[in-house]
Amino acid sequence: MKRGGWLPLLVGFALGLVVGLYYSWVVNPVEYVDTAPASLRENFKSDYMALIASAYAYSGDLVRAQARLSLFPDPNPAVTLSQQAQKRLAMGRPQSETQALALLAAALEDRPPPLASTPSQVSVTLPSPAEPTLTPTLTPLPPPTRTPTATPGAPFELLDREKVCDPDLHAPLIQVEVIDAAGRPVPGVEVRVVWDTGQDHFFTGLKPELGLGYGDFAMNEDVIYTLQLTKSETLITRLMIEDCVGDEGDLYPCSWLLTFQQPALP
Amino acid sequence: MTSKGSRLLIGLIIGLAAGLIYGWTLRPVEYVDTTPDSLRADHRTNYVLMVAEAYASDYDLDLAQMRLAALGPQPPVDILIEAINYAVDHDFNRPDLETLNLLAVRLRSIPPSPEIGGP
Repeated sequence: MKRGGWLPLLVGFALGLVVGLYYSWVVNPVEYVDTAPASLRENFKSDYMALIASAYAYSGDLVRAQARLSLFPDPNPAVTLSQQAQKRLAMGRPQSETQALALLAAALEDRPPPLASTPSQVSVTLPSPAEPTLTPTLTPLPPPTRTPTATPGAPFELLDREKVCDPDLHAPLIQVEVIDAAGRPVPGVEVRVVWDTGQDHFFTGLKPELGLGYGDFAMNEDVIYTLQLTKSETLITRLMIEDCVGDEGDLYPCSWLLTFQQPALP
Repeated sequence: MTSKGSRLLIGLIIGLAAGLIYGWTLRPVEYVDTTPDSLRADHRTNYVLMVAEAYASDYDLDLAQMRLAALGPQPPVDILIEAINYAVDHDFNRPDLETLNLLAVRLRSIPPSPEIGGP
C-alpha cells in the first residue's frame, strides 16, 4: 500500500476512536446501579459502619457484624471503628451510636464489653448468615432467645488519684483508667466533667493505643473541674492544674491520673 | 465508493470499536464515590434491616428516618415495604422480618404532615 493510502485509514481510526470514547464515557457510560457498600463515598461508608455497629448493639450477633464489615476492604476494622467513635463523638452524634461503635470495636478485639446500656448485658442467639448479602434461610427460625447474663456489677470506685508530672505531655490532662474487678480495662465507660461555666463528657476505650480502659480530657488554666463516672456515685472534686518542677527547676503544668475499679461482688 | 472513502470508513469502524472496548471494558467510568441509593437490592435490603435493628435498639425514630433518607427520595415507609417484600421473596428468617415490620409499623403510625395551604 502506498504511504498516502494509510492516511484515510488512520484518520478514520482516530475519528472512530474519539466517537467511541465519547459515546462510552459521556453519552452512554457504564452505569453502576447495583453497587456494593465498598464503593460508597467516604462519609456514607462511615455512616454504614456506624449502622453495622448500631445493628450489632441490638442483636449481639458478632458473626453477622463481621460479615457486614467484610464488605469493606479494611485490614483492621476494630481500629477503624474506634476512630469512628472518636470522630462521631466530636461531631456530636447520638451517644447510642458512639457507644455501639466502641462496643463492636471491643467485641472484635475480644475485649471485655463496655458497660453501656446495650445488649452487652444480654446474649442474643440469632441465626448467623454466612454471607453479608443475607442468604435466605429455607425454613423460618424461631424468635431470638435472650438469655440474661451476669449484671454489670457494683458501681466503680476511685482506686487511686495521682498527680502526674510528665513534661512530654503536650497538654495538662485529666487521665482516667477504668478497670473491672479482675483488673482488666473496661472500654465504653462514660465520664462526665463539670466546671463553673460548662460541662463535657468522654468515653474510655476511644484511644485503644493508650489502653482499652483509658480516656482523657484536656484541662485549662485556672479552672477547677469535678469528675464523675456515670457508673459511679463518687465525685472527684478540685481537679485543677498544679505546677510540676522540671529537672532544671523549670515549672510546667501537671496532669491527673484517676484510676477507677469495679469492686468484686460479694 | 472510492478506495480512499472505504479506507476512511474501515478506519472509522475499527476506531469506533476500539473506543467502545476501551471505554466500556478496559477502562470504564469508575464510580468510587457512590451513594446508598445506588446499592444493589440485597445490600439495600441489608441496609434497611440494619436501620430497623438500630431502631429496635435505640428507638430513635428521627435517626432511623434520616438513615433511610440516604436511600433516595421515596417515603421511608415505601422503602421499608420494598425491603420487606424483598425479604419475604428471599425467605429471610422470622426475626429479621419482625424487626423490619416493627419499624414499618412505627413509621406508618406517624401522622402525615399538614399540607401547607394558602390563606
